[in-house]
Amino acid sequence: MTRYILRRVLWGGVLLFVVSALTFVLFDLLPSGDPARLRAGRGASPQAVAHIRHELGLDKPIYTQFYDYVKGIVLHFDLGYSYFSHASVESLIADRLPATVSLAAGAILIWLLVGVSVGIVSAVRRRTLLDRSAMGTALLFISAPEYWLGLLALFLFAADIGKIPVFPGAGSYVALSADPGKWLSSLVLPWLVLAASFAAIYARLLRGSLIEVLGEDYIRTARAKGLSERRVVMRHGVRGAITPLITVLGLDVGTLLGGALLIEVVFDIPGVGRLNYDAITHADFPIVQGTILLAALFIVVANILVDISYAYLDPRVRLR
Amino acid sequence: MTTGAADILVREPLLAGPPSPTPGEAEGAALIARSPRALLWRRLRSDRLALASLVFIAVLVVAAIAAPLIVDLAGVPGPTVQNANATDAFGSPLGPSAAHPFGVDQLGRDVFARVVYGTRVSLEVGILGTAIATLIGTVVGLLAGFYGGWLDTLLSRTIDVVLCFPVLLLGLGLGAACGVHGCVKGAIQPGLPTIIAIVALVNWTYIARIVRGRVLSLREQEFVQAARSLGASNARILRVEILPNLLAPLIVYASLLIPQNILLEAALSFLGVGVRPPTASWGQMLAQATPIFNTAWWYMAFPGLALLLTVLAFNLLGDGLQDALNPRQALR
Amino acid sequence: MKSTSIHGSVRAAGAIAALSLALGLAACGSGSQTVTVALKAGESPAGQQLYNKHRGGVLTVYDHEDFEHFDTGESYAGQDYTVLYAISRPLYSYPPNSANKLSPDVAAAAPTISDGGKTLSVNIRPHIYFGPPVNREVTSADVAYAIERGANPNVACPYFQSYFGDVVGAKSANGGPIAGIQTPSKYTIAFHLTKPTASLLYGALSLPLSSAVPPEFVRPLDAHSPTTYGTEYLVATGPYMLKANSKGKFLGIGYEPGKSATLVRNPSWNPHTDFRPAYLDRIEINIGGEPAVIGQQVLKGQDVVQNDNPAQSIVKEAYEHYPTQITFTPGSGTYYASLNNAHGPFKNVNLRKAVWAALNRDALVKVRGGSLTGQPMTHFLYPGVSGYEQAGGAAGPRVDYNEHPEGDMAIATKYVKLAGYPSGKYTGGETVQVVGATGEPEEGMAQITNHALEQLGFKTHLSLVDKSAMYEKYCTVPAQEIDVCPNAGWVRDFADPQTVLYVPFNGHAIEPEGNSNWSQVNDPQINAAMEKAELVVGEPAHAQAWAKIDEMLVQQAVAAPEIFANIAAIEGHGVVGVNQLWNSGAWDYDFTSLK
Repeated sequence: MTRYILRRVLWGGVLLFVVSALTFVLFDLLPSGDPARLRAGRGASPQAVAHIRHELGLDKPIYTQFYDYVKGIVLHFDLGYSYFSHASVESLIADRLPATVSLAAGAILIWLLVGVSVGIVSAVRRRTLLDRSAMGTALLFISAPEYWLGLLALFLFAADIGKIPVFPGAGSYVALSADPGKWLSSLVLPWLVLAASFAAIYARLLRGSLIEVLGEDYIRTARAKGLSERRVVMRHGVRGAITPLITVLGLDVGTLLGGALLIEVVFDIPGVGRLNYDAITHADFPIVQGTILLAALFIVVANILVDISYAYLDPRVRLR
Repeated sequence: MTTGAADILVREPLLAGPPSPTPGEAEGAALIARSPRALLWRRLRSDRLALASLVFIAVLVVAAIAAPLIVDLAGVPGPTVQNANATDAFGSPLGPSAAHPFGVDQLGRDVFARVVYGTRVSLEVGILGTAIATLIGTVVGLLAGFYGGWLDTLLSRTIDVVLCFPVLLLGLGLGAACGVHGCVKGAIQPGLPTIIAIVALVNWTYIARIVRGRVLSLREQEFVQAARSLGASNARILRVEILPNLLAPLIVYASLLIPQNILLEAALSFLGVGVRPPTASWGQMLAQATPIFNTAWWYMAFPGLALLLTVLAFNLLGDGLQDALNPRQALR
Repeated sequence: MKSTSIHGSVRAAGAIAALSLALGLAACGSGSQTVTVALKAGESPAGQQLYNKHRGGVLTVYDHEDFEHFDTGESYAGQDYTVLYAISRPLYSYPPNSANKLSPDVAAAAPTISDGGKTLSVNIRPHIYFGPPVNREVTSADVAYAIERGANPNVACPYFQSYFGDVVGAKSANGGPIAGIQTPSKYTIAFHLTKPTASLLYGALSLPLSSAVPPEFVRPLDAHSPTTYGTEYLVATGPYMLKANSKGKFLGIGYEPGKSATLVRNPSWNPHTDFRPAYLDRIEINIGGEPAVIGQQVLKGQDVVQNDNPAQSIVKEAYEHYPTQITFTPGSGTYYASLNNAHGPFKNVNLRKAVWAALNRDALVKVRGGSLTGQPMTHFLYPGVSGYEQAGGAAGPRVDYNEHPEGDMAIATKYVKLAGYPSGKYTGGETVQVVGATGEPEEGMAQITNHALEQLGFKTHLSLVDKSAMYEKYCTVPAQEIDVCPNAGWVRDFADPQTVLYVPFNGHAIEPEGNSNWSQVNDPQINAAMEKAELVVGEPAHAQAWAKIDEMLVQQAVAAPEIFANIAAIEGHGVVGVNQLWNSGAWDYDFTSLK
């Protein structure tokens, strides 16, 4: 098991290295802005720009730049500095991460609660009106663009512009440490909107796998033993059906921590996704590189955790 | 959108089971002669929802092709015709009226015409992007699964790397970088071609993984082994024995990718790196509606509804195809 | 005079004139102004009461865009100026209700001009102190260093060569002492010029570059490239300062990029040396957000203002429902579409005239919020700038392509034919690159311009990119060969028509990077006329000379005019706002108070 984990972690490291190398090359080939000019600001003299280009090492060949970059990360956990604000990338990310984590954590809680309960009810009452309307609604939420749902939610419920002003609107995010009450109320709408499509996906997944499990022999045995239907479903059925959900959950959490870009943009939440978006529009390459690397890190770690939990559950996997 | 097409990968084990190239044994000799495609169609026909979505999609395709005609028949100005008189003294767009059934935007352009023309972009990206992704994915998956060895390792690892990239962030970066002068020395023009390239780039991996898995197990099937022992060349085995067996699942997965890709295009356009104006795209219209959505509800509502219904139709069709391919599941 | 400057959009810097507004400000610092005018929407803010108001309180400011620089040497954008003029004091400045009449600020009185306009001498006030952590008295040497560092490549003041280039030794300066700047005494600074342009320099001493900085603190920071003064550390001279630690570091304390900035009182500020009343205790600035949402928060809020332009929908809502909470400031600069005079189809003057004729300027005005927010632009000197009336006033020069602000295709077609395309449609084939900015109203304006081009038969590639990318990567870099930039704009730097026409339209001002002459106008006759007009001293001759140049620019149709801008500004119902007329109507934190 240890060897398996070690192998997975090493491969994860290789993946991250390749991802950062590719990002580096990609944005070198497709420059969306001249970093030296950006750093210099509007109206700087050509000499100043040349000087800055040299200082940033941008006149060196790309492999040297990449070597320096990786060395910085490995030796000092140094992701470089923003061309725009001159702030260090790791400090900017650390600054934005709490908002993204807040957003993700609340949404995950909601979608698990809703998704799992709807999934179970739908599976147990399958082909009833309840099941059909639940699954229909689920498909509707899967099909709706989340930023559009976000706009609709603001249109209806935002305190500043909504028709039924209930919750604080866009741009109202407050850090948890600053004011827990405001933090909670400002995140209600984003949580619900973000959770909607996930809850729908999870409900559909759980319903499908639960129906499959409920047809298995051991469930029949459990029924035959005279256990209550409730007990059969909850204790035996759900336990067997939840595995695929854990896989998806791992991947989704990994993806979300890299930034729920669209939701952060619509609700103006200062998270990592928003940081990346602003950096891309400003061609602020160190931040783009840093945030993509962070997102990739979360995805890789999530993958490793999922793999390990699988290996733990099913020893045959380790031999692959 | 956040999950991207990863959802599909998860559905795979649920839906696939062992490939069943010989359903005939179970369903009677009469069916043996039928191709899997005919079978698929037969089952699909009994699914009313899927059929309805198929009809809706057909209507969309017609709307996309005949957009000028429809706009003409509706008696509204074309999608890029600006009219400063259709906004009030403050420049606020006016809502639905007889002249403009869906209202107008900030430039006085007819929203109905733009919604109709927006179908073109969505379908082009959805269908063309998915087709290219499917093509690349199939080739890669076939090579990796069939030949195995170092080629498989190389291709599979490449897939791992691409899957590590956050889809939306990558698309955003590429879209911004190729935004003005295009990419790869102008081979990929800005706008629609860039978006299609992004869609293909981030999606082929899913198809490749699925195809590889299928080929791996098909390769060990008796009928393939038999063909091999009869001296059939690799190319022949691939063409005659393996590819036909991939067709049905490819159709299903492609149909599940289409709505994802329509959403991806809309999201990129919403974020400002999609098709170039004045071309009408639903995502871009939603972006333009954002600063005024509390006063001009129609500008947010109609493009959003069009997007929702289109994606819903493709999802329903995908579900239907999935069920048709896996009757055991359909019985649920 | 050479320029490397690039001025911001219309929102960006500079001064505006007060049109025909009654100014009526008593001598600065008098504090006796008692005129009270209840502002109604659409009414000019010139009559705002400046003194004797409630002291104290915290003002919250919304600003959907981030700041660029807080360094007085680097900053060149109106948004930065709103903060800069609260934390630092140049030699001269405009009181909020004037755009024409300079008041001595750090200077004790108007300058002495001698030697036929080649020497300018300024006495500065005693007992002005630097804020923490320096806390010592400001001297003339501090002003000299502040200006000299503008030539330091690590600072690279964008307008240094444009306005200080005639100082002896400035052309070759790189941050060290400049021979033509002398400090004969602790309280006297003198400038020696190579040309008799002292009156231009007097105006330029209102720019932030002339704000004193303490060399012992700033010089080590200026050794960095770029300097960390203004991005990490700052020393105030004004009534406020960015909240900072004991070492003067404000980054991460009083300013979090992309998020917020906090201004607190500067404990070393000496109110007896300043005309700024500084009523507020604290100013908290929130950066980011959707303009439509910000607008709602401000209109329904109490002690809040929005710093940047309200969204079009907010202008309407404010006018209809919150008329006392919106002000309109006329004469806030121009919007125009640059046409590449050096490359591509628009080398042809007739095609440029055709675009001018075809462009629907009424639609452009509407997309920005209607007639309260601007009028169709008809020439390049805008309302309130001296020379505007001589150059044709609101109607502009009488040429046929200028006569129909709603766009006239018949006249446009005539010019396309004159350009050698007999069908009346452009058939040159090549694709025209149009680069505009994302976000409203820029996006809409770019699309209206693009539409006019398409109507003339041009095949266009319209790209909408972030405003900073439009500036840094495309429109200011001639090598990119962008044909049309529909979101160009200009605001004067101080009360002199030269600051409106020279940098954006003089051939000598074209730079390979950071170019402000977006149209790349390089007409020998225009260049020569500008060199002459620069030396014409005294009104109305000076204004007349620049009006003549304006006329030449119209004859050459060097760019397609869009809008003479008014700027709208909104405030919450608990705020008694005062607008900086000289800075496009932005709120003045030094004079704004709470009810």
